[in-house]
Amino acid sequence: MIGEKTIANIGGGAVSIAQHVGGIVVLTGQVLRALIPPRIDGRELVKNLHKMGNRSVPIVALTALFAGGLMMLQSGPFVKKLGATGLAGWAAGYAVLREIGPILIALMFSGRVGANNTAELSTMTVTEQLDGLRALAIDPVKFLVVPRVIAMMVMLVALTVIGDLVALVGATVVGSALLEIDASTMYHSFADNLKPYDFLHGISKSVAFGAAIAMSSCYFGVTVRGGAVGVGRAVNAAVVAAAVSIMLLDFFITYLAG
Amino acid sequence: MSYFRTRIEAIGGAVLGTSRAALELWLVYVGTIAGIVRGFSRRHGGRGRPKGELVRQLHAIGNRSLVFIIVTLGFIGMVMTYQACLQLGRVTGDYSQVGSQFLRLLISDFGPTLSGMMLATRVGAGIAAEIGSMKVTEQIDALRMSGVLPIDYLIVPRFIACVVMTLMLTVLGSMVMYAAGGLTAQYSFGVNPSTFYDLSFVRGRHLVLFVVKALAYGAAIPVVAGFCGLRARGSSEGVGWATTAAVIGSSFAVIVLDFIISAVALFLADGDL
Amino acid sequence: MTATIRIVGVHKRYGARRVLEDVSLEVGQGKRLGLIGPAASGKSVLCKLVCGLEAPDRGTVEVLGQPIVGKREVELGDLRRRIGMLFQNYALFDFLTVEQNVAFPLEQRGGMTAEEIAVRVAERLRAVGLAGSEHKLTGELSGGMKKRVGIARATVADAELVIYDEPSAGLDPVTTQKIYDLLAADQVRTGASVLAVSSDVVALAKFVDEIAFLYRGQIVYRGPAATIADAESALVRQFVRGELEGPLDQGPAKTADDGPTRSPESRR
Repeated sequence: MIGEKTIANIGGGAVSIAQHVGGIVVLTGQVLRALIPPRIDGRELVKNLHKMGNRSVPIVALTALFAGGLMMLQSGPFVKKLGATGLAGWAAGYAVLREIGPILIALMFSGRVGANNTAELSTMTVTEQLDGLRALAIDPVKFLVVPRVIAMMVMLVALTVIGDLVALVGATVVGSALLEIDASTMYHSFADNLKPYDFLHGISKSVAFGAAIAMSSCYFGVTVRGGAVGVGRAVNAAVVAAAVSIMLLDFFITYLAG
Repeated sequence: MSYFRTRIEAIGGAVLGTSRAALELWLVYVGTIAGIVRGFSRRHGGRGRPKGELVRQLHAIGNRSLVFIIVTLGFIGMVMTYQACLQLGRVTGDYSQVGSQFLRLLISDFGPTLSGMMLATRVGAGIAAEIGSMKVTEQIDALRMSGVLPIDYLIVPRFIACVVMTLMLTVLGSMVMYAAGGLTAQYSFGVNPSTFYDLSFVRGRHLVLFVVKALAYGAAIPVVAGFCGLRARGSSEGVGWATTAAVIGSSFAVIVLDFIISAVALFLADGDL
Repeated sequence: MTATIRIVGVHKRYGARRVLEDVSLEVGQGKRLGLIGPAASGKSVLCKLVCGLEAPDRGTVEVLGQPIVGKREVELGDLRRRIGMLFQNYALFDFLTVEQNVAFPLEQRGGMTAEEIAVRVAERLRAVGLAGSEHKLTGELSGGMKKRVGIARATVADAELVIYDEPSAGLDPVTTQKIYDLLAADQVRTGASVLAVSSDVVALAKFVDEIAFLYRGQIVYRGPAATIADAESALVRQFVRGELEGPLDQGPAKTADDGPTRSPESRR
């Protein structure tokens, strides 16, 4: 009896995941089609760029600072014990640029911007504003979704660049304050060991993460049903879907890009 | 001049607002602990909470996050091992230490923290969405009208469930990460499993760190998320805000707690990790 | 005879918006007071102040002989169990069935066995006309049914003070009359004091003894309900009769913290 119910649940779960994935793909198609020719509402785009970018800088910077410091805390003592302080920057910096930076910042972005975006879009859906737009012969995808997708992707990349730098600063601060590795050693070990390719590797992930967060966030926003409770569930689903996508994409890009 | 004044006023306002929020958050935490103690002392007869609520929360937080944790931590485990092996290949070409060092980092940091971040997202959003929508539909007020304390009724069961489940899921997730890492090392870099699965570097203090972090995150997430939920105002938009704030707040709390606990551990262990 | 509710000099503002300014109100024991006013005039806020769900910025609130302002949540619990409240948006617990919703105040108060509670709940549901719906979840109910569950829950514990925030909003005239008959019968049976907020002045006037008019955060009128349409104040007369011409300010409605957005002109 237990086995039967569990299988039914798994089956049901699989079906709903498939449904959502399908829906996201469909929405992605609509977005891509709306981009050719690119006639985007400039005002909406600028508004979203500002909302998603400028106002996220503080939280991203803080997160990056702590993340960089953390990496240093983890790798620094080890490097020190081996006496290879020249590599101190490499150990922390490498992890930051390739993995921790893009992933953590993407997760924070998903929480700050993605969730917020889903909340906004789902409130608009629940209050029938999307229907209102359609009645005015305005395509909600073109008008609302596309500017947000572009803004989110652009902003995540920008924020990751800023975040990477701040994280390296954080690592340096922790290195000198707690591990007695002075800043110039850190700087040189960054410069010597971190390659531009590491940086690009991370940034390409940010592009992918941005797309994933944007599509997931918009999809769950416009397919919401059911009032205040539905909005909460939509945000929940969007954030979870984004997190899983980030992990999956990270995996694939890491393997493909080396 | 007035430009600076508005900026300073804005910053000052933000600092005040944040301090007030931090204080309220602390009060929620204290209230939760007090609620747990009250529940044990049975002074109010323990009839505040509905029967089986704790079990329901354990299920909602635990079982329903299981697949999520396994999938996300499995993948990140593979990626981390891959990156580490890649770089080691570049520098020393010696893979013998990868497994043991990976395990050490896993136990003392990445296991709990990544599980914590994932759960902050999933559980934090869930709790805030639930409690937030109750708040905007005035169900919280209705609870208060029957003499029920919202913290006792809503947050305490979730708190206990989350602390317990976070620990269990962290253990599970870490095991998955370790196994996934071993598979990656084996199939992509030819590292012998017996070389990889090397527990010799694990110390008691690493396990202590593991448990402390997992418990800390498990405690922080429901308090932050519940707090955000209770502060929701307005209608559906308010619920959206509350959920957003909960995800950011709990994720950030996990990172900050990780940093603090790691730094403290570093001091206590005299720089020997 | 102690007043059940005594509010003196209460002020309340949300940010820059002043919702209540120097409001004083008394409801005698066993009396019924109606509260009317334009949308967003502070009626619901006043109800919440009476229950201690919100605190005034200034002034005192005394309910059932006890001061409320400044008391902590834990201290208010016992007092609140002697008050029954119908929320404007029902505030039913969506994770409980109809039966569990109505039983909730009794279970929290304690002192009754499960059988006694079940009997009482069944009686209440019968009284509001929802006898077969015990096991339904709130999501399956219509607006009118939810309202009736709310009334059942508010009156199940034989409270000494009952507050109804819009008991008839959204109900057809026949159901409205049935509801008010029910509320009247309850009050006669229990001798409770009643504070009722409503936009349907005609139906309300038949139910309550007196009506107070809350306009722009102040009580501008209080008088017997039977003669409210011929009140001395032109403001009240215009509002009650639904006339367009007169001293009533019909400017843009403030953001709703209160009241359904039916303008005074439409009484149906």
